[in-house]
Amino acid sequence: MKRLVAVVAASVLGLAACGESSSPAVPAVPGEPSQKGTDVLAKAPVAAAADILPGSTMEKIKKRGELLVGGSLDAPLLSQQNPVTGEVEGFDAEMGKALAKYILGEPKVKIVNSASETREALLANGTVDVVFQTYTITEERAKQVSFAGPYYTSGLTIAVKKGTSGIAKPEDLNGKKVLAGANTPAIPAIKKLAPQAEIITFGSDPECIQALKQDRGVAYVQDETLLIADAQKDPSIQIVTKPFTVDPYGIGLKHGDDQFKKFLNDWLKKTQDAGVWQGIWKKFIGTVVTGEAPQPPQIGSVPGS
Amino acid sequence: MSVLLDHLPELWQGLIVTFQLTAASFAGAAVLGALVCALRVSPVRVLRAIGTAYVEAFQNLPLLVLLVLAFFGLPEIGIKAEPLVTAIVVIAVYEAAYVGEALRSGVNSVGKGQGEAARAIGLTFSQSLRHVILPQALRTVVQPLGNIFIATTMNTALAAAVGVVDLTAAANRVNLIEAQPIPIFVGAGLAYALIASVAGFVTGRLERRLVMLR
Amino acid sequence: MTVLFDEPGPKARRRIRVATVLGTLAAVALVALAVRQFAANGQLDAARWQPYATWPMWRYLLTGLWSTFLAAVVSAALSMAFGLLLALGRLSDRRWLRLPAAAYVEVVRVIPALLLVYVVLFALPRYGLDLPLFWKLCVPLTASNAAAFAEIFRAGINSVERGQTEAGLAVGLTRFQTMRLIVLPQAIRRVLPSIVSQSVGLLKDTSLGFVVSYGELLYSGKVLAAYNGLLIQTYLVVALVYLVVNASLSKLARTLEARQSASLRRRAARA
Repeated sequence: MKRLVAVVAASVLGLAACGESSSPAVPAVPGEPSQKGTDVLAKAPVAAAADILPGSTMEKIKKRGELLVGGSLDAPLLSQQNPVTGEVEGFDAEMGKALAKYILGEPKVKIVNSASETREALLANGTVDVVFQTYTITEERAKQVSFAGPYYTSGLTIAVKKGTSGIAKPEDLNGKKVLAGANTPAIPAIKKLAPQAEIITFGSDPECIQALKQDRGVAYVQDETLLIADAQKDPSIQIVTKPFTVDPYGIGLKHGDDQFKKFLNDWLKKTQDAGVWQGIWKKFIGTVVTGEAPQPPQIGSVPGS
Repeated sequence: MSVLLDHLPELWQGLIVTFQLTAASFAGAAVLGALVCALRVSPVRVLRAIGTAYVEAFQNLPLLVLLVLAFFGLPEIGIKAEPLVTAIVVIAVYEAAYVGEALRSGVNSVGKGQGEAARAIGLTFSQSLRHVILPQALRTVVQPLGNIFIATTMNTALAAAVGVVDLTAAANRVNLIEAQPIPIFVGAGLAYALIASVAGFVTGRLERRLVMLR
Repeated sequence: MTVLFDEPGPKARRRIRVATVLGTLAAVALVALAVRQFAANGQLDAARWQPYATWPMWRYLLTGLWSTFLAAVVSAALSMAFGLLLALGRLSDRRWLRLPAAAYVEVVRVIPALLLVYVVLFALPRYGLDLPLFWKLCVPLTASNAAAFAEIFRAGINSVERGQTEAGLAVGLTRFQTMRLIVLPQAIRRVLPSIVSQSVGLLKDTSLGFVVSYGELLYSGKVLAAYNGLLIQTYLVVALVYLVVNASLSKLARTLEARQSASLRRRAARA
């Protein structure tokens, strides 16, 4: 099998070499950690023994020796598995590691891949301790889970193929074909702001980008961070608006576990004060967004948090 | 239940798309499948090889992979079509491999003497296939073809992966908004069961008709 | 069905040869055109394929393939067991067994597996039942394939001559013993090819893990594409892996079938 694979790979390569090379920008690998920020976790705080209250969720995690985090494997910059190392990298993933270090003294995390609408159930039945997964705090969701944070604020924005005119605000999408990721918050947002838009959904971000480049839709609505990364990889794509929604991301935890929620909020505050939050931002989102790390959102500032 | 009524337009539209997908791709698969079968029993070795390769390729690739590849890959070699059309063509091409195999086993089930008799009275290959073998083969393949039709109906649900909003996709979208999965998915399931039972009824009738002719 | 045509004569052979050459040329020209266009769009650039000449990418894909196997084997074993029970239930003398089994098979056989996946994915968690990812894929696959296997087993059991059962009962075996010792072994041998091809179908169905985000082959492709942005190359490679694996399995099925019919013929000759 291995040999066959090698032969096939080699022949494919041979073919590739014969192809004409009128290459429109071959994408670089995104989310490659910049060397300067790799030791950002070294500065991350560790909880005092007194903070790990007996009988609490924190103690349970400490006894287990591993933090179980609900997250994704295929969200570049936020929570993307690196096939080379098998590590999950990104802003969300690194925050999870920082939290693990706070509780356990070392960043031991197990990411439970929890796509789609099952996060509430995962938290409720204790499959995961926390969720770091672009989990927007809403009052609706807060009836089923508790949120610590918010720890990050993002928003949806619109990308088009370079040279497209006539789209400058969400309302311009009315009557047009708009691309969106399946099961993402973009779908209800488009329905609300541009009810006449025809929404076409695909399973992943690269598929939506490919569809945009192949004119399957005139615009692509997605989280700003992701779109910035896409636009940087592919110069034929352009972002045309400022974020038009405010999505405060919270740390999801079991509903009603106020002790753990307070513990998480304390941790978040310490992480921000120690500059670790900013370091993690720089290490991942900072690779596509220029400038210094923004002011982190006020903890507890959002209804539902 | 009211959630189904509230979203009746979307779900109805989804059902229509499912109908279109099923009808068009099954018709395509039937025609293409007959061709594949003819290739596989043909006198020319090269044609037989092509038929075999076709069946091998499409019976061994998941439809989901084919759909995604066709949808994103074909435009890169200069072929671009609407999502619905792409899905219909891909499903037709995929199911044709199964139709071809069903027909071939039907052809093989026709007694050898029939073929010999057809040849003895001087019919050519295509004449004996058309007038003697295929009509008899059809009788034994009504049931397998009915099963392929049902499989086609079910497989159209995968078109959602390339942005076609069929019944399954419509149900999923309504569920995202309403969060009432049980009535929505049960309703969609019943609609599929209805399509399939109509197909089952028709093939049953057809089979009885054809068998009586014997 | 070689009776349908004569061995082609010299003239026909020449015609076939000419047509083959012309057809091949046309096909090659078409493929060349497609490849040219493909290359013009930059899809054949060495840099776009380079990742798939490296071991880590293949290691990741092969890990995905392993997960595919795992899901397929577990689902196949479960759905065969469940399917056998359903088939026996459907053939039972007792109405209360026969009717539910028939209803299950007839209904589930016609519901898309994707819809069942959605039910497990979205509906069950609302009632507090949130399965691990592996089972989110295996449960709907088992549920839907059990109905298909039930039909295969039923056809097999029905194909065993009545006399076999009667003989079994006559020598004093119970109904259950007759079924287990006499009917089933013959039935299963007869439907073995269908069982294998249904299993290949099941292996293809595990690509629904894409929807569940269970890390099987296609989902691994999705993660890879998100990582390197090479959508088309990734899916072409994934398709190739599926083709190689499934074609080998189908070949195995044909070998089994051939060996089995050969042994049947031998036995018939001896009898």
